[in-house]
Amino acid sequence: MKAKLIGLIVVCGVIGVAIGYKTSSDRNRLTTLKGYVGGEKIGFLEDEDVANMLQKKYHLTLDYSKAGSLDMVTADKEGKDFLWPSSQTALELYKQEVGKPVRSDTIFNTPIVIYTRKAVSDALKKEGVVSVSAGLSGSADVYTVDLEKLVGMVEDGTSWSSVGLPQLYGNVTVSSTDPTKSNSGNMFAGLLANTLAGGVATESNIDEYLPEIESIFEKSGYMESSSADIFSEFLKMGMGAKPLVVGYENQLLEFASQQPSKWDKVKDDVVMLYPVPTVWSSHVLIALDDQASGAVDALQDEEIQDLAWKKHGFRTDVSGGSADLSAYDGIGIEETVTQVGQMPNYKTMKKIIDYLDQ
Amino acid sequence: MHEAMNSRRSEKLRWLAILIAVVLMTMIYGLSGCGSSDGGSEESGGTSDLAAQSTLGSGSKTLRILSGSENKELEPIIEKYAKKNHVKIEMTYQGSLDIMRQLGEKNFGYDAVWPASSIWMNAGDTLHRVKHAESVCQSPVVFGIRKPLAEELGFVDREVSVNDILEAILAGRLKFCMTSATQSNSGASAYIGFIHALLGSPDVITMDDLQDQDMRKKLAQLLSGIDRSSGSSDWLKDMFLKGDYDAMVNYECLMINADEQLQAAKKDPLYIIYPYDGLSIADSPLAYVDQGDRKAEERFLDFQEYLLSDDTQDRIQQTGRRTTYTGISDKNKVIFRKEWGFQPDRVLSPFKMPEADVLDECLNLYQTVLRKPSLTVYCLDYSGSMEGEGNKQLVAAMEQVLIQKNAAENYLQASPDDVTILIPFESSVIGTFTAEGNGKELEDLYDTVDKLEPMGGTDMYNAMERGLDLLDEYDLSKYTTAFIVMTDGESEDYYNEFREAWEEDGRNIPVFSIMYGDADSSQLDQLAQLTNARVFDGREDLIGAFRKVRGYN
Repeated sequence: MKAKLIGLIVVCGVIGVAIGYKTSSDRNRLTTLKGYVGGEKIGFLEDEDVANMLQKKYHLTLDYSKAGSLDMVTADKEGKDFLWPSSQTALELYKQEVGKPVRSDTIFNTPIVIYTRKAVSDALKKEGVVSVSAGLSGSADVYTVDLEKLVGMVEDGTSWSSVGLPQLYGNVTVSSTDPTKSNSGNMFAGLLANTLAGGVATESNIDEYLPEIESIFEKSGYMESSSADIFSEFLKMGMGAKPLVVGYENQLLEFASQQPSKWDKVKDDVVMLYPVPTVWSSHVLIALDDQASGAVDALQDEEIQDLAWKKHGFRTDVSGGSADLSAYDGIGIEETVTQVGQMPNYKTMKKIIDYLDQ
Repeated sequence: MHEAMNSRRSEKLRWLAILIAVVLMTMIYGLSGCGSSDGGSEESGGTSDLAAQSTLGSGSKTLRILSGSENKELEPIIEKYAKKNHVKIEMTYQGSLDIMRQLGEKNFGYDAVWPASSIWMNAGDTLHRVKHAESVCQSPVVFGIRKPLAEELGFVDREVSVNDILEAILAGRLKFCMTSATQSNSGASAYIGFIHALLGSPDVITMDDLQDQDMRKKLAQLLSGIDRSSGSSDWLKDMFLKGDYDAMVNYECLMINADEQLQAAKKDPLYIIYPYDGLSIADSPLAYVDQGDRKAEERFLDFQEYLLSDDTQDRIQQTGRRTTYTGISDKNKVIFRKEWGFQPDRVLSPFKMPEADVLDECLNLYQTVLRKPSLTVYCLDYSGSMEGEGNKQLVAAMEQVLIQKNAAENYLQASPDDVTILIPFESSVIGTFTAEGNGKELEDLYDTVDKLEPMGGTDMYNAMERGLDLLDEYDLSKYTTAFIVMTDGESEDYYNEFREAWEEDGRNIPVFSIMYGDADSSQLDQLAQLTNARVFDGREDLIGAFRKVRGYN
């Protein structure tokens, strides 16, 4: 025990010296901010260009631990300077549980989309569930899916073979992550609630739709708990395993930008469907102290926002929701995502999650 | 309902924590002793459990991976990396469900996990330590039936359902082997596929569905068609090749390997069937288990990058696994031979796995109600040399198996129809004790184990011969029958007498053995070879060895 303690002191000492050295060798003072971050932003934070720019221009380093968007709000925040969840719901929860944050602002957005394969989108097009419109000058066709009709197919127990896809076993379902554990699944639950309610679902009307929402999720059976894992399964396991998968728009764009040779192999077969309507996953930075308040400005820097879009597919405020598509030539992206509804408020979402979790 | 399940599970995990902490401590100390001196993946005719660990490459940097046994075939590919990068890669092979259970433990003695399916990995990751999970390759769980029989059954060149297979089994025209559903992913996946098909292919299996008596009855019949059970997919394949069986359930990639070996031996190949209403896919995820070692994480990521590179993915595909985003390349399609029923271009469309709580209930149902009852004859060494530590460990091990509350932690419970026979021996048989079912009688056997005092010499052959006599009272077609022999010393050499008795008996009862203390491994290997069974090494971890061997029966 004693030896362990001494060891610990030695280790701490070494770290202390290292930090001291680092700071003194830097002409400008470097601030390290610690916080919780949703997993889908790790690619962005690990990007050397992003890290360098934050250091050079703002003398900032962001040290993160991965945590779920809602979990991080209730987690032990000792020693943390910021939270960076992936939804507005988390901010609402924060306000309710903790109070007004020192500062909070949306850094970037990405819409919820549904990923599928060409054969499936073709079949759903024939059913009048998917529509295709020509993309802007030279870019690929843009696909949208009528969520109300798609949910209808799921609820009616429509088999894949009845829509001309006998190679797919069973009935039409949409796979998402577990809505009680992961943000993309959670947002899909909100989207389903809106679709069933025919507008933004509210605390007063949600009760009526809870059993339907539960039955839609029940049809999925086993659910993944990470948005990154479900997207990677979708890509690797082929059309048969998960024909329709809920994800973020930025996942495909980041994959195309960061792994171009792999993207090249699947780009003719993978289709991104924009649900009508969809919802934004808003990456809100919640500053817990004054230091972190500066991080909001840093992350909203035009050059950093440019990297966020061009390398990681996050839509930014700078481009006002309408994006420069040239970075993603040949991908069917909506220039402006207009058919966006509000997520149900926090209390409504809590009702949904509590119902699904029981 | 969820809450009750969760608390039950956490209760289960607490028990496991205690058990596995003990097991792990022993293992960690043990492996550091024997792992390095082993130096390679030596197998003694595929019958020895020593092959459950392989050290590839050498060097001061180590990467420790807890892996499903199906990855054993990838060792040359792993070794290539280990040698080139001067990294020592320690592969420890266990069933996917065992990996799940270990992953839930605080003390986890590996840097990474590589189970057959992400379902078990996610279920086990209760401490949220799993990072960088990537599917390395995919392989569906399929049926392989000796081709002439497949033709006779009319299964060739057409779509076959689980119900078609069921009918053949019920008509007594087909018997098959599969791994234990509660120990290994391929067995678990196939078993859940059976439930799904027998329920008339619902969207997803629910808790209520599991109460369906008609389904239970048919499923019990279906499982009664099982010839031999096994705790690991790779060993099942080896057992199949050595024995004389009709069919097995296993991964597509291991079927390819089996067919290549059958062809080389000029035997009938297995014809592969992809049951359209009960198919599942092993996605083989390799993931880092974060315990704060940054260097280990870097080593892991570098190794993972190697496995996922285009070149390596192509080599992995050449072992019969599906890799890459675009399916099997034209060049590699020749490996998936059409005349053996392989369908490289098939869109693999699995049924939906139920949610975690339902999965857990399915496995308990298998263990306690549905599986073919087992008849297990334990021949336990009570010779003088067992006195002290040996006897203490033996008693502790039997406590894990016989006391049902403990057994349930590892899905090793007995069913009401199981028969357990205990034959403690020294130079002669001390006595025979039989328990039917899973109640008091069974737990009373534990008192017997506890009370007996070790003394005298060693002769296991005598005890086994007595066991063969006792089996005459039973209709063995109703049971998965096996001997489990634990010995710590060299027996007087009556092997030939036993062999004659065993051959005369003619019922091909496997003799699994657990080596302890100064046991003579050549005697045990001899038994394993004769009876197509396996030797487990209990020298470092006797309790673990008992758990493992129990999982085979």
